[in-house]
Amino acid sequence: MASGCLAKVVFSDAKHNFIIHYLAAIGLLLVSPVVFGFSGLDERLAAIPLEMLAPILGIILMTPVFMPEQNESIYDVVRSKKISHTLVCLLRILLSAVIIALLVGGLSLHMYHSGSQVTARVFASALISALTLGALGTFASALGDSSIIGYMVSASYFVLNMLLHNKLKKFDLFTFTDGGTKVNLWLAAAAAILVFAALLWRKIRK
Amino acid sequence: MLFKKECKKILLSLTFWIYCILVVIMFAENYYSEAKYPIGKPAKDGSDYGYMVREDPELIMEGASASLMSDFASNRYVCYPYGFYKAVSLDKEDRDKVEEYVTEITAWDHDEILKQIDSAEVYYMEHGFSTFPGYKFESVNIDKNMTYERYKEIMADIDDILGGGSAYKVETLASRYSLVPMTYDDAVREYEDSITEDTVTGSLARLFSDYTGISLALTPVFAAAALTAADRRRGMTELVYSRNISSLKLTFIRYGALVAMMFIPVFLTMIAAAIQAGEVYGDEPLKMHYMFTTTTFWLLPELMAVTAVGMFLTEFFSAGVAVAAQGSWAFLSLMSGGDELSGNITKFCLICRHNTLYGRSEFMATYNDFVFNRIFYIVLALVLVLAASYIYHLKRGGRFNGIRLFGKGGLFRRKA
Repeated sequence: MASGCLAKVVFSDAKHNFIIHYLAAIGLLLVSPVVFGFSGLDERLAAIPLEMLAPILGIILMTPVFMPEQNESIYDVVRSKKISHTLVCLLRILLSAVIIALLVGGLSLHMYHSGSQVTARVFASALISALTLGALGTFASALGDSSIIGYMVSASYFVLNMLLHNKLKKFDLFTFTDGGTKVNLWLAAAAAILVFAALLWRKIRK
Repeated sequence: MLFKKECKKILLSLTFWIYCILVVIMFAENYYSEAKYPIGKPAKDGSDYGYMVREDPELIMEGASASLMSDFASNRYVCYPYGFYKAVSLDKEDRDKVEEYVTEITAWDHDEILKQIDSAEVYYMEHGFSTFPGYKFESVNIDKNMTYERYKEIMADIDDILGGGSAYKVETLASRYSLVPMTYDDAVREYEDSITEDTVTGSLARLFSDYTGISLALTPVFAAAALTAADRRRGMTELVYSRNISSLKLTFIRYGALVAMMFIPVFLTMIAAAIQAGEVYGDEPLKMHYMFTTTTFWLLPELMAVTAVGMFLTEFFSAGVAVAAQGSWAFLSLMSGGDELSGNITKFCLICRHNTLYGRSEFMATYNDFVFNRIFYIVLALVLVLAASYIYHLKRGGRFNGIRLFGKGGLFRRKA
């Protein structure tokens, strides 16, 4: 009963608040062939479009999880409901993560069938980068109580990665693009910590 | 008075402080660490002085035509349209068009082209799971009636057919096919250009502007969008609408406050760069004003344009649209200029790049375009702010509510 209710909440929430973000994410993938080539790439070259596009999907899909309640009066109404707001936000984040995984997976499969050497570790690395940057956006938007701040921090960190690459060491989002050969679990840990901290902050503030 | 109030509001906003931090990070991580070593006079020890671009039509036509024959034979053209690798294979129609151009350049007919391809040395390249044949052409015949001007037109057309960013992009032909080794005298001349013409600070100012320009292409839009959307978010819209001030004046005061406040951290980094230049090049006679004049003329128009885009799109649509649009523009500008980091300033590029302490002559070759570019962005910024004030005026009069995606009156608003 409770799980059915939760599913209804998530479905309704996604339909009314996040459909445009899902469409934007799909749109980004559809226009990406204008910028990137996807066929006949070796592992490192295949990592470039994947590790470049996946974090942008993370920004688009994970940063706005607190946006519907950005208005204080709406937030107060939502908090007065029986169902935990933190749980709803967690479900939103999980749903976004699943959609990111599906989109990155779809792109990887497309590249694989176009003759590119997309390996499981490149896919995992791109997914982790997406979740990390998305989690950074989630955390910043929780802390600043504004999605714009979330977008600003995550987009700026993305640009910083494009300029500094390996200088960011364990927090370089473009692991395989920059010559790495192992999935960076530090980023995965950072993603989990940032999501946890964002939810905790939302719960304890005010 | 209102200007001061707006400045104070910006000063107290989180987006402004994040913007400041980002400007400082970009300065410290990129410019400051790169500019701390003095430019040294080249040593006369027969060492490698690098290469320099010398536009030699003969060399360019020879190199580009051999490359074109090779790509045409394998029907595989490697392009970097936005700085990223893309292998393009042409369909029959476009392939025929390229063949016509090959014929025009080489004076070879269809059979002769096939014969040349058959006799070319073949090698195999592995890409991903596939292996592609490559054809090696050391040189090809160039029609003696072919002029360099016509050749450039053909190259531009072929680049167009390939979707841009190809090895035949006219602007990069010289740097790709006409590189000549620098002699000691060339290296000394370039060094002396930096010391005498620029008094070093000209070079430093260009490098400073190059790095700071990257962050200014994106970050100001967040502060602009946040401030423009602030009234709505705080439920103050109606209250502000009812104030006795014209929409034009209010919008321009807000815009002026945003630009002035966001220029402060840029100016402070200019001072830091000037102090660093004084320390590193203490013995040289420096024209320190370059550290402020060149940089301001380079960066202020960009800051003005990005802020204006943020205000206009937030007023017309919403903050999210402004961020997405400016984010895409900044990303594509950064990546499309990524294959040539100096000497590639065009009339309309948002980010003017000159990522080197050398190359004064390269910069001066594009100086007129650079000046046009910066004036264009100042004008564009003012036009966009005018448009934003008009939209604000319509909103105040209740004749237009903006096109919003979410919230009250939004396209995706849930119907009761």
